Amino acid sequence: METGLTDVTQTMKVVVSLIPLLPLAGFLFTLLLGKRFMGKRADVLSLAMVTASWVLSMYVVAHVWGHRHEAIDFDLFTWVRAGSFVVKWGYLVDTLTAVMLVVVSTIGMLVHYYSIGYMKNDEGYYRFFAYLNLFMFSMFILILANNYLLVFLAWEAVGLCSYLLIAFWFRKKSASQAGKKAFLVNRVGDFGFTLGLFLIFTTFGTLQFSGVFGKAALGQVGGGTMTAICLLLFAGAVGKSAQFPLHVWLPDAMEGPTPVSALIHAATMVNAGVYMVARSYPLFIHSHTAMLVVMIIGTFTAIYAALIALTQHDIKRVIAYSTISSLGFMFMALGAGAWVAGVFYLLAHGFFKGLLFLDSGSVIHGMSGEQDMRHMGGLRKKMPLTFWTMLVGALAMAGIPPLAGFWAKDEILGGAFVRGYYVVWVVGIAVAFVTAIYMFRLIFLTFWGENRASQEVQGHIHESARVMTVPLVILAIPAALVGVVAGWGPEHGLIHRFLEPVFYDLGSEKFAWAGEGGLLMLVSAIVVALGVYVAYVMYVRRTELPARAAERFPWAYKASFNKFNMDEVYEAVVIRPTIALADWLWTFVDTVIVDGTVNGIAWLWGVLGRALRPWQTGRAQNYALGVFAGLLVLVVMVRIFWGG
Amino acid sequence: MTGGIWYWLLFAICAAWVLLTGIGVVALKNIVHAAISMVLCFFGVAFIYVLLNAELVAIIQILIYVGAISVVILFAIMLTDQLRGRLRLFFNQQSVFALPLVVAVAVVLTWILVTADLPGATSKSQNLTLAALANGLFNRYVFPFELVSLVLLAAMIGAILLTRRED
Amino acid sequence: MAAVDWYLALAVALFCIGAFGVLSRRNVIAVIMSLEIMLNAVNIALVAFANFVPAGAGKGTYFVLFVITLAAAEVTVGLAIAVANYRLRRTVQVDEFSELKG
Repeated sequence: METGLTDVTQTMKVVVSLIPLLPLAGFLFTLLLGKRFMGKRADVLSLAMVTASWVLSMYVVAHVWGHRHEAIDFDLFTWVRAGSFVVKWGYLVDTLTAVMLVVVSTIGMLVHYYSIGYMKNDEGYYRFFAYLNLFMFSMFILILANNYLLVFLAWEAVGLCSYLLIAFWFRKKSASQAGKKAFLVNRVGDFGFTLGLFLIFTTFGTLQFSGVFGKAALGQVGGGTMTAICLLLFAGAVGKSAQFPLHVWLPDAMEGPTPVSALIHAATMVNAGVYMVARSYPLFIHSHTAMLVVMIIGTFTAIYAALIALTQHDIKRVIAYSTISSLGFMFMALGAGAWVAGVFYLLAHGFFKGLLFLDSGSVIHGMSGEQDMRHMGGLRKKMPLTFWTMLVGALAMAGIPPLAGFWAKDEILGGAFVRGYYVVWVVGIAVAFVTAIYMFRLIFLTFWGENRASQEVQGHIHESARVMTVPLVILAIPAALVGVVAGWGPEHGLIHRFLEPVFYDLGSEKFAWAGEGGLLMLVSAIVVALGVYVAYVMYVRRTELPARAAERFPWAYKASFNKFNMDEVYEAVVIRPTIALADWLWTFVDTVIVDGTVNGIAWLWGVLGRALRPWQTGRAQNYALGVFAGLLVLVVMVRIFWGG
Repeated sequence: MTGGIWYWLLFAICAAWVLLTGIGVVALKNIVHAAISMVLCFFGVAFIYVLLNAELVAIIQILIYVGAISVVILFAIMLTDQLRGRLRLFFNQQSVFALPLVVAVAVVLTWILVTADLPGATSKSQNLTLAALANGLFNRYVFPFELVSLVLLAAMIGAILLTRRED
Repeated sequence: MAAVDWYLALAVALFCIGAFGVLSRRNVIAVIMSLEIMLNAVNIALVAFANFVPAGAGKGTYFVLFVITLAAAEVTVGLAIAVANYRLRRTVQVDEFSELKG
């Protein structure tokens, strides 16, 4: 049964509108007044706003819970009016929105509180909170929007915030470069998104979700057009959600402060691509080709990123590549037709990935800014809270039952298997195996063994402040439990029933626990356990093994460590030719042609002037000669034309 | 006097005189010689006027051209101290171009005028008598007549002003 | 060729002789003299028209009278300029009056 609309009460409209509006106000006031008036307490306003938004979001979610077949769709004002092209600024709240609201508002709020501790004493304190609020505003608009153009606006806005926050420590060259890289690579995807928007408008005549999805359901749009639309929209998602080949910006985005990595690059912004594809479900189900492409790219990205994560030394980079891999996993789910599983994974992933990032921030903080895992070790004694929460996160990530990751991951793998995508299932199992290895490699390197840092750093190791550890603990709870709570009973759990109105036509294949479903779950559990054991052996028992493995397979190690040379490929294929073209345009087109023309015209006049000047002798007799010659011409002309 | 062989013989002589003295003005190196040649040319032109039944004009020509203009020119020659006629190239650089141009103009113009259709051209004299001329001058054309006197006045004043020595 | 044509031919020839002088002589006074020759040539043509063509019967003569008068005035002023110029520059060479060059 699809969603129907009800008369939206005034209260609801106000509540929903306030959710993005409060952080916007927070941004404006903090930015304008923060430096002069708020000093060390520049965070107060933004914290208040984001907490209020969380409260309101929970209220909305509760409401949706009770009315899950009634979507809230209303417009606030007319935004664009250009002849017959009219776009309104409006919001849509259905169960999918509710899921996103939970993730965005909760993690957003926790990150804000965490940042009080993490960003303490930073000179850009007020700026940080202002930008965080701006980001919350943009992200809320993105998930609340009821038409594609507004989504696109918010899409660009979160990209802007990402740039601002990645390059937050803008005096550091690598940070500002990373910010630029993020923005530019995103732009490539956005180009596809824009073309998709154009195509949607010309095909459906509107950009409103209600209009587009209504018309799509009628089934009158040609397969080719629908595929094109879906692929173009997906191109935007590839950029925003860092899928291959537009993933290169995410690892570099780790230059930003860790709270930023947690919020934007794990829990919220990178999910925008997944959300967008999920939201466009009514379009994608009409294009088998597009779904296939989504699945293939997602699967490939998942294994690709996981292999790279295996050899990285920077703790944040490991988690970054892990995020890319997880996002790939989500797209794999959507493409294979396990829509609910994908969104479920998004929900769970937001919690445990956010937790992992915040934990790593705590580790870095405790290690006086050290991020290289080769210099860590043995931290579990000195930073117990961080250790336990991170362990929870890692277990969830790896997919150990009964934590969140297991249920979601398994539903995805099972969903793929049941629909006949056996190769995908195999790759997915491989991903799970590798994930377990690198995740626990991280844990063992960081928290086990002897500490390998300098004496000075070792002296400073301490557990983080309460304001940082409390959010960690709070996050650990859903990371552990949301799987069981929401997903118990595959395909019939809480979340499935919750999302049913949105994903209304999932087909008849269902993944069940009994029979072959149960067998699959067992296999994946064993594989994951195996991965943990391998990591244990390599990094705790016989720590010389990793080095020996690297020696044995140097090409494999190099490929993984150098991210399969993706950046170098871009450098050679895209950047060098572009620079060469720009160079040529400068030296040839600009200098020779443009300057040549301008200078040439000046030269021409000079030549003409110099040629004509000798005629001006100043002597009347010379002029008289001219007059006389003219007389001859005139006389002849008169004779010819007047005759007689 | 119209037609007749004597008429045309007289014409030929006068024409030759005018042309030769004219060439003299243009071609003589010594400026005084050129001036004398000019005076002689004026006389010849007066004869032509007589042949054309324009006695009044002939008399005025002699009075003004020979009597006044020639004198002024000689005065000017004297004042500009060119009596000795220095030895110099006295045709300028552009005479090379001027000569063919002038010849061309002459040929073209002659041809045009000769082949033109002049209505009512006869060999009979059409000229007015002195009385009729005087009548027209002081009745019909009195305005330009008076204006010309003004021009002469202006010219006189101008010439004096220009050549006054500032003492 | 009608009678008038002979006089016209004479006038044109004299005109061109004078023109050559105006264009070629270096002494400014010689140029003025050549100019007078040209004017005389024009007068011959006018009087010829006055005599032989009914349309120009009286008008030709009047025209000539005015031409002669104005020629006198013009010569006066021209020579005055030449003399003044001579006093300033000590030369009557036309080639050297080129301040307006360029």
